[in-house]
Amino acid sequence: MRRPPSFLDLAELYDSHAQALFGFLLNFMRDEEDTQDVLQEVFLRIGRRPELLDGVRDRRGFLIRLSHNLAIDLMRRRTTREKTLERVRFESIPLFASSSDPDENAFRMALSEAMGELPPDQRAVVHLKLWEGLTFDAIAEVLGVSLNTAASRYRYGIDKLRHHLRPLYDEIK
Amino acid sequence: MNSDEFEQRLRRQPIRTIPEEWRTQILRSAAVSQSAGPMKEHSFSWRELFWPSPHAWAGLAAVWAVILVLNVASSESTTSPVAQLPPAPPSPQILIALELQRQLRAELMEIPEAAKPEKVEPARPRSEAVATNHHV
Repeated sequence: MRRPPSFLDLAELYDSHAQALFGFLLNFMRDEEDTQDVLQEVFLRIGRRPELLDGVRDRRGFLIRLSHNLAIDLMRRRTTREKTLERVRFESIPLFASSSDPDENAFRMALSEAMGELPPDQRAVVHLKLWEGLTFDAIAEVLGVSLNTAASRYRYGIDKLRHHLRPLYDEIK
Repeated sequence: MNSDEFEQRLRRQPIRTIPEEWRTQILRSAAVSQSAGPMKEHSFSWRELFWPSPHAWAGLAAVWAVILVLNVASSESTTSPVAQLPPAPPSPQILIALELQRQLRAELMEIPEAAKPEKVEPARPRSEAVATNHHV
């Protein structure tokens, strides 16, 4: 029987998965404060109930699913007025590390903005496919959707990104 | 633009690094919760449920209770001949209670209080209306 995660194990859990969760949540929620709140809540829950991880083979997938659910809960609790105010900040969230190459930087800024234009459900799938390298099967399981839904959301998302970034991509290629 | 090439290009963009200062804060909170033991997971959502104004919700419930009591008190037996007449206009107390309810609802929805609705004159008895017309 696996012993429950100790404080030391929580640190190990954090070191192993927090960066991935941060990237996913920041992309999904488009807000750094909300990202921190949800990330904290994830580890709070694991701290309170370490048995949640008992028998879990894919901890990363489990944590992403938990993060996704908590993020949706938080986004649903937002009032309409708060959503309108937050929209102003959406385009300015930098998702990617800055580069010394100005062209590369411009592309990353544009990509960050383009991701913000996607609906959240497409954004989640695109992120998990491109930056977490998950299969559509794994994405479907993590997000609680069908395989076809995951694949179609990815296609729509990628097509929109391609359309949005075409001028810049062709220019700096 | 080659599809694979485009996706590869996107994939190569590095996500920002998580702020280092988050680690201490998050792990400390998690350690405190770990030592505190299991808690009800949805306790925070109860607070959210009664946001933004628990007093306004209580006020709204009180107004509904007043309306209900007044309606019950003013209702008459269905066998009474009076029940065959068209329904009487709402009593002033009910009108006041409805106005208060409207104000509370506006407060809850954070909508600037709309222009007060037009004051509707209670229907006059027909005999009074006829008398007025004669004077014209």
